[in-house]
Amino acid sequence: MSPVIRTRELTRRFGDFVAVDRVSFEVERGEIFGYLGANGAGKTTTIRMLCGLLPPSGGEAEVNGVDVARDPSAVKRSLGYMSQRFSLYLDLLVEENLEFFGGAYGLGGAHLRRRIDEVLELVELGHERRALTRALPGGLRQRLALASATLHEPSILFLDEPTAGVDPGARRVFWRLIRALSAGGTTVFVTTHYMDEAEFCQRIGLMVDGRLVALDTPDGLKREHVPGQICEVDGPQVHRALELSRTLEGVLDAQPFGAAAHVRLDPARLGPEGLLAALERGGLQQINVRPTEPSLEDVFLAVIETEGRRS
Amino acid sequence: MSAFLVRTSAIARKELLHFLRDYQAIYLALGMPLVLVILFGYAVTFDVDRADLAVVDQDHTPASRHLVASLNASDTFRVATRLESAGGVEALFRRGAVKALVVIPRGFGRRLERGESADFQLLLDGADGTLARTILGYTAGITQAETLERLRQAGLSARLPLEPRVRTWYNPRQRSALFIVPGLVAFVLAIIAVLLTALTVAREWERGSMEQLFSTPVGRLSVVLGKLAPYVALGFLQMLLVVVAGAWLFDVPLRGSFLLLILATALFLFCVLGQGLLISVITKNQQVATQVGAISALLPSLLLSGFLFPIENMAWPLQWIARIVPARYMISCLRGILLQGRGLDQIWPDLLAMAAIGLVIVLAATMRFKRRLD
Repeated sequence: MSPVIRTRELTRRFGDFVAVDRVSFEVERGEIFGYLGANGAGKTTTIRMLCGLLPPSGGEAEVNGVDVARDPSAVKRSLGYMSQRFSLYLDLLVEENLEFFGGAYGLGGAHLRRRIDEVLELVELGHERRALTRALPGGLRQRLALASATLHEPSILFLDEPTAGVDPGARRVFWRLIRALSAGGTTVFVTTHYMDEAEFCQRIGLMVDGRLVALDTPDGLKREHVPGQICEVDGPQVHRALELSRTLEGVLDAQPFGAAAHVRLDPARLGPEGLLAALERGGLQQINVRPTEPSLEDVFLAVIETEGRRS
Repeated sequence: MSAFLVRTSAIARKELLHFLRDYQAIYLALGMPLVLVILFGYAVTFDVDRADLAVVDQDHTPASRHLVASLNASDTFRVATRLESAGGVEALFRRGAVKALVVIPRGFGRRLERGESADFQLLLDGADGTLARTILGYTAGITQAETLERLRQAGLSARLPLEPRVRTWYNPRQRSALFIVPGLVAFVLAIIAVLLTALTVAREWERGSMEQLFSTPVGRLSVVLGKLAPYVALGFLQMLLVVVAGAWLFDVPLRGSFLLLILATALFLFCVLGQGLLISVITKNQQVATQVGAISALLPSLLLSGFLFPIENMAWPLQWIARIVPARYMISCLRGILLQGRGLDQIWPDLLAMAAIGLVIVLAATMRFKRRLD
């Protein structure tokens, strides 16, 4: 199988600032590829280069076999793009927005009408067809933007933070749509900073300060970056539990995790029962220790820490 | 239909929808031409109508009363105050109560009877230069008529050695409206076209929709032409609005060809819409675009176009700058077509100039219009 996106040493500078620093990766056809990173890590800049919106300063990127620097127009015909900011026209009706973007992709007549019906059905917005876009809530706007980006049946979809600022229910619906598109053979390249969403991706690239520092399946990332046994520790004195854990033999790492703490153990030296016993010996009461699976957030924190030590 | 036409018409349609849903833009585009016609047609006038006059008659003879009566009889003057001496007039000038003072000295009537030359004094408020000049002209005319009348009564040959016989063509009564309204077409089109188009591109940059638009294969020529098309239609509508309102309210004629009027309007719109687009493409910001648009459209088409002030009287650097103001050529065309009935054989240099200016501006806007985000 040949990759549909391929970058080699892709670089973008803005003056002295290196937004994207020699990034190389490949994305296979039909894959859901997650691109993770903090704000300003270079996610949007990478997407803009891949969509032919921003010329690279160095390196290469091919989308569907076309060099984005050499022929941005050809690249644009085969991809759909949903920018970070909602950028459909609020003063147009839902179907007028679709008619406009269909026209912009060169579709017209009966074909466009059929495609509008199809995408509205796909994103379950048929009943809002005559609604003013301004009147749609955030979740529905995102679905409309997705519909608009898929009008011309692109083989690749680039979604830049598609669920930012959308409520959890609407996010779930949105990801169901993304999986449906992927099942139909569309490659999806999606950026997010929601770690729970990243679990839906087949492979994940992790960006830190413009560099791609990790790239694997979610399970592969967890095995590599958070080895050992993760235990979730909670109770009324989480903070003290964290401090105490860090002093124990056999504890690899201890980090706050929401209202609780994640303590990572080297199973050869310390098990969850041993951790609980040690904490209770330290005077903590009502403490719970529960073995758990590492999350991508654990991966993210571990990688950030490694990168922090390196620089 | 080719993909280019599909894309261009999609953009034109969308732009039209934006316009139709923006009440402010509709008011601006259709209300402002009418307001300006009424405002300029009635308010901007170089005709003096009933200028207030103060009179000091120290003579109190039939002759002096006759002079005052003949000044008062014309539509130009209205005797507002009679003073005992010229001393009080400065206060009246300051208050703006009168614009001129006529002082008829003692002995005026006696000197006339004796056949001597009789003087009277005309004091003008020069703060308003245009008005002062006009009053001076009218007074000279009335005095000359009086003089000839007296000579005729004295049985002398009522002939001046040199006497112009004036007939003013195209505007026989020299009404200002006939001079103003054709220029107003250019003025209205320039301001509204530049303002509206300056907003269109800047708005899309600000809202982020330009990025979405550029992710599609739409070419920049499609964007430029598609965005301009609805405003071309609107421009024709505004031109008709001003011409019809001018004909109805001020009897402004259309002596030349209507088709030629359409052609001149099309070329002028090409220039001003391109100007708005260029501003929009460069500034990428609605507020800045509005300000730059207003200034760059308003000032040249008001001051350097011959709309109100003849270009021939300007200092040479201004005359030189006026050569690249498209409104100047449009106003020349409009007066030619509406008032003089000129044909293509006479106005083609103006049309050519507008075509050239428009081409340069639209090309510059298209080139500057990058389809990328850096």
